[in-house]
Amino acid sequence: MNVRKSVSQIVLMIILVLGLFIFAVPFIFMVSNSFEKFTFSLPFPPRLFPKEFVWDNYLEILNKQKICRYFFNSVVVTVLTTFFGVTLAALSAYGFARINFKGREPLFKIYLFTLMVPGVLNIIPQFAILNSLHLISTHQGLILLYVGTGICGTTFFLRGFMESVPKELDESVVMDGGSHWTIFSKILLPLSKPALATISVMMMQGTWDDYFTAKVILGSNEKLFTMPIMIQRLHGQHATKWGLVFAASILMLIPVIILYVISQKYFVVGGISEGGIKG
Amino acid sequence: MEKLSYAESTNMRYGRRRTRQELRTVAQALPFVLPGLILVCVFILYPMLKNIQISLSEYKIVEGKMDFVGFDNYKELFTEPQRRFWYAYRNNILYAVVTTPAIMLFGLIFAAMINSMKKNQVFFRTMYYLPVITSWIIVGLVFKYLFNGGNRGMVNYFIVDVLHLAPDYINWLKHEWTGNFVIWLLGIWKNIGWAMVIYLAGLQGIPNELYESAEIEGANAFQKFTKITFLLLRPTHFFLIVQLLIGSFNVFLQVLVLTGGDPQGRTSVLQYLLYDRSFSLFEFGQGAAIGLVTGISIFIVTVILNKFLRSEQ
Repeated sequence: MNVRKSVSQIVLMIILVLGLFIFAVPFIFMVSNSFEKFTFSLPFPPRLFPKEFVWDNYLEILNKQKICRYFFNSVVVTVLTTFFGVTLAALSAYGFARINFKGREPLFKIYLFTLMVPGVLNIIPQFAILNSLHLISTHQGLILLYVGTGICGTTFFLRGFMESVPKELDESVVMDGGSHWTIFSKILLPLSKPALATISVMMMQGTWDDYFTAKVILGSNEKLFTMPIMIQRLHGQHATKWGLVFAASILMLIPVIILYVISQKYFVVGGISEGGIKG
Repeated sequence: MEKLSYAESTNMRYGRRRTRQELRTVAQALPFVLPGLILVCVFILYPMLKNIQISLSEYKIVEGKMDFVGFDNYKELFTEPQRRFWYAYRNNILYAVVTTPAIMLFGLIFAAMINSMKKNQVFFRTMYYLPVITSWIIVGLVFKYLFNGGNRGMVNYFIVDVLHLAPDYINWLKHEWTGNFVIWLLGIWKNIGWAMVIYLAGLQGIPNELYESAEIEGANAFQKFTKITFLLLRPTHFFLIVQLLIGSFNVFLQVLVLTGGDPQGRTSVLQYLLYDRSFSLFEFGQGAAIGLVTGISIFIVTVILNKFLRSEQ
C-alpha cells in the first residue's frame, strides 16, 4: 500500500514538472532572450539560450529609451489609484455594511448591476467626459477613471467582509459616545486589514498591467505613458526590437512577482469565489 | 382643526418621525457613501447613458459636436460589406466555446494533482499561477515571437525542422484559423493557473470523511472523483463558467498584439473592433454602438446563466 502511494506521488511529480515546463518555457525564453544580442534578423535556428549573454538590451532601454520614466509613471499611477481606490472603497463599504440608510439595497443592486456589464465598453463616453473636463492626457484623469470604475467591485468585496465583523464590537464604541466615524476608524478599519490588503494587491496588479484604458486616456502625451504602452510601442509596425521588448518586459514583471510573493499571506482566494457565487 | 381618526393621527405622528429617522440615516451614510457614489455616477452610470446617445450620433471629437443620425451607425455596422462586425462576434463566441472548457478541464486536473501531492504544493501552485499575473502585453508578445511565421519561430522550427511533422513553415498569425488558434492557445495557457487556484480552494472545502467512507464502500479513485469531487465542486464550476464566458467578451490584447484582426478582420473580436473603429478610424458612433451591443449581449448571457444557476440549486 505504501509503495503504491509513493509511486503515484512520483508519477504525479513527473507530470506536474512536465506541465511546469510547458508553462514556464515562455518565461524562460523571455528571460534568456533578454540577454540575447539581436540584430535586424532573428537568430536561426531559434534558440532557447543565447550564444553569449550581453547586457546590451538592458543598457539600451535604460539609456536610450529612458525606461525609468515610464516605470516611474506606472508606479505613480498605480500607487495613487490604489490609495484612493481602497480609501473610497473602505468608506463606501462601511456605509453599506453598518448604516441602514434609506435606499441602501436598491443602490447596492445598482452597483452590482454595473459589475455585470464590463466597464471597458464605456470607454468612449468616459473619454468624452474626461475630454470635457480637460483631463485627457493627464495622469489625474487616468487615476480618476481607474478609481471611479473600481469602486463597485471593491465596495462589494469589502462590504461582505465588514458584515462578518461582529456588531457587538461597535457597541463598545457607541457606549463611550462614539460616532460612526469612530466605529469605522477604531474598529472596522483595523479589523479589515486582510481584506484591505487583498483589494490593494488586486488593484495594484490591475492598474499596473492595464494597457487599453491608459492608452486611450494618455494617448498623445508620450511623457506620461505607462510601461504597458511603452512595451507595445517597442513592438512597432516595422522591425520589432525583440531584445528591448523582452528586457522591458522583465523589468515590468519584477515588481509584479515581488508583490505576488509578498501577498501570498493575504491572498484570500477562497473569498473571491465565495463572494462571487453568493452575490 | 379637522378631527382626525385615531389611526390617521397616529400615522401622521409616526410617519413624520419615520421620515425624519430615514433622513437622519441618509445623512449619517452620506460622508461614507457619497464620494464613491459621485464617481460611480460620473464614470459608470452616466457613461452608460451617454453611450446610447453617442451610438445614435456622429461624434466629431475635434469640434466637440454631436449630430443625431438615428440608427445609421448600427446600419453601417451590421451591413458593412466585409462583415467585420459579424466575424468579430463569431470570434468572441468561438473563443468562449473553445477556451472555457479547456481552461476548466486543465485547471481541475492540475488542481486535483497538486491537491494530492504531499509536499511542494505551494511551489507548484505559485509557478502555475505565474502566467496569470503576467500582463497580457508581455505574454502576447512572447507568443508572437514563438509563433513567428517562417523559420525563425520556435514553434515552426520544432514542427518542421525537429519533428518533421509538417512540410513547410506555417504563417501562424496571418491566416484566419491558425491565427485564431494561437489566440485561443494564449487564452487557455494564461488562465489555467487561475482556474486551478480556484478549484484548489474548492477542493480543500471537501471534507476528508466523504472520501474515507467511499473507500470503505470499495470505491476506486475514478469513482471517488466522479461521484464526490466533481459533484461537490458544482458552485466552483458555475462560478468559473460565468467568469470565463463574460471574460470571453473582453478579449482584446491578444488580438491587438498577435494578429491585429488580420486577415481582414477574420480574427478580430468585438472589443478590438471597438478600439479600431473609434481610435483609428474615429468612428466613435460605431464604436459606441459596438459597445452597446456587446454590453447587452453580456447582460443577456449573465441573466440566462444566473437563471440556470438558480434552477439547479
